[in-house]
Amino acid sequence: MSERILEDKGLVVRHSVLELFEHWAIALSGLILILTGLFQMPIANRYYINELPGLAWSADYIVSLKVHYGASIVFVAMSFFHVFYHGILGDRGMLPRKGDMKQSIEVVKTFFGKGEEPPFHKYLPEQRLAYLGMAVIIGGLIISGLMKTYKNLIDPQMSEALTLLATWAHNIFFVLFIIAFIGHMAAIILKPNRPMVRGIFTGRVRLDYARRRHPLWISEIVDHPVTAEDQPESEADTIVETADPEEHEITEEEASEDKEKEEPRQ
Amino acid sequence: MSSRYVPKVSRRSFLAASAGLAASGLGLPRVSYGLQPRGLASIIDLTLCDGCPGKDMPACVAACRNLYQKTVPDPVDPIPRLYPRGMIEDWSKKKQIYDRLTPYNFIFVETAEVEYRGNKSTLFIPRRCMHCDNPACATICPFAANHKMKNGAVVINDNLCVGGAKCRAVCPWAIPQRQSGVGVYLYVMPTLAGNGVMYKCNLCHDLLMEDKIPACMDACPAGAMVIGPREEILADARGRAEHINGFIYGIGENGGTSTIYISPVPFDIIDKAIPQGPGLPHFKPAKRRMAEASVLETLVMGSPLVGIAAGVAGAFSILSRRKGNEGGTE
Repeated sequence: MSERILEDKGLVVRHSVLELFEHWAIALSGLILILTGLFQMPIANRYYINELPGLAWSADYIVSLKVHYGASIVFVAMSFFHVFYHGILGDRGMLPRKGDMKQSIEVVKTFFGKGEEPPFHKYLPEQRLAYLGMAVIIGGLIISGLMKTYKNLIDPQMSEALTLLATWAHNIFFVLFIIAFIGHMAAIILKPNRPMVRGIFTGRVRLDYARRRHPLWISEIVDHPVTAEDQPESEADTIVETADPEEHEITEEEASEDKEKEEPRQ
Repeated sequence: MSSRYVPKVSRRSFLAASAGLAASGLGLPRVSYGLQPRGLASIIDLTLCDGCPGKDMPACVAACRNLYQKTVPDPVDPIPRLYPRGMIEDWSKKKQIYDRLTPYNFIFVETAEVEYRGNKSTLFIPRRCMHCDNPACATICPFAANHKMKNGAVVINDNLCVGGAKCRAVCPWAIPQRQSGVGVYLYVMPTLAGNGVMYKCNLCHDLLMEDKIPACMDACPAGAMVIGPREEILADARGRAEHINGFIYGIGENGGTSTIYISPVPFDIIDKAIPQGPGLPHFKPAKRRMAEASVLETLVMGSPLVGIAAGVAGAFSILSRRKGNEGGTE
């Protein structure tokens, strides 16, 4: 947990450097895996992709497979790191909570002008559901991918049934992964979500945005201010003094007042 | 040609003897070709193949065509034109061709006029899939339509194949041949994805599962092709080569195959004497390109352990710092 309020800068730290590193390592290796996974289909030559500058290798299945393996080393290692590191530390913020499905529907309705958003924790209910969905897809890709790698490396005569299962599971999860990625990107198009985009690049979001939309998260921060011991070494010396909890306890009423004040700027 | 090498146990004679003994009620256990746990291998002995003189086509080719040509369906008419390149491969009107590999011809016999150590000779060489030990064609198929069976046969499932020809692209000998306008791709997006079905020798996998030998071998009047348990066949092949002071092709090629050629003439000389081109496999050294990825594959298999070790170490480092802080506060 690294969340803290940087009152003087008007920002809130939403993600630690480590979390940013995890996200981008998985995201960038995942993108390479999507691209090289597509190149495992006979499309690069057929659709002239290999004639694009810098993509001549795309029609060579062995080369694109090697790039696929290279990216999967990062993807798999970081995914396992993520599960074990945050699992042991008890980070549960992204896991779905009771009522998330119902609340997600209400939130989606607000995107179309129906009703008002409820006050949020650090993550939106649909973000927590999406996280679970992405985790299942990535888990399926990793298990089936490791089975395929095992076959290629050690057991070329793996049973036909197991080979078919691993291959088709990998293909189906691959399609789901692309759909999930498109959904992940589509969330940025929604105006209310845009202030969160800077968070995944810099680790920080605007304090006024967080107070307005994520008041429950802000309350958690002021109730449980972060200490240097909670931080990885690289961040311990960058902590800015946390605001006084008494002064910044956010209530739902205040949150809605903040929202009204900021409405004209939207 | 030197005198015929007689292996200690000939597969054909062993089979014949077994069948005879079984028929006589003595009950000698038969060789189970289909379920050999270590897999099978075969020998193509070029000292024995004579190209079946006097016949319309070599017996092995005729037997194979008789068994399989009807199994390849006729394509739809017209065959969907592929976007954007428009390429299709249609052999349905050229089924009569038997001097190269086609979707309707899984084996052919080529003739090589060679000269070695001052002796001129003519070799007749049956060519078909080598059934590699770790075949890239099967490894890399995105739909698992191509599989290396326990008995060593590499078999394409024509119900799953969409004819992308990836198997042909990674095969050192470019063995599989495409027939456009047939197969499951027609039911999806025929102009945008897929292009037919790939066909090649399947080592008569179905016959092997019935403890029968492949049709080409069964038909060969010269006994130039034999099949049997891998270790015995490898020993047999080495014995034959040693006997004629000859040469072997197929044991180490592409990381190892289940088809071993025995020749009195070096294969680089044969390679220069045979026709080259699509559907006409070479006899050059064949490196297993997939081996280039072995290190990466090993790292992929180890990556979960790296992630787990780093995650556990990182988390416990944070926890111990928290605990230390709590202790200090007390």
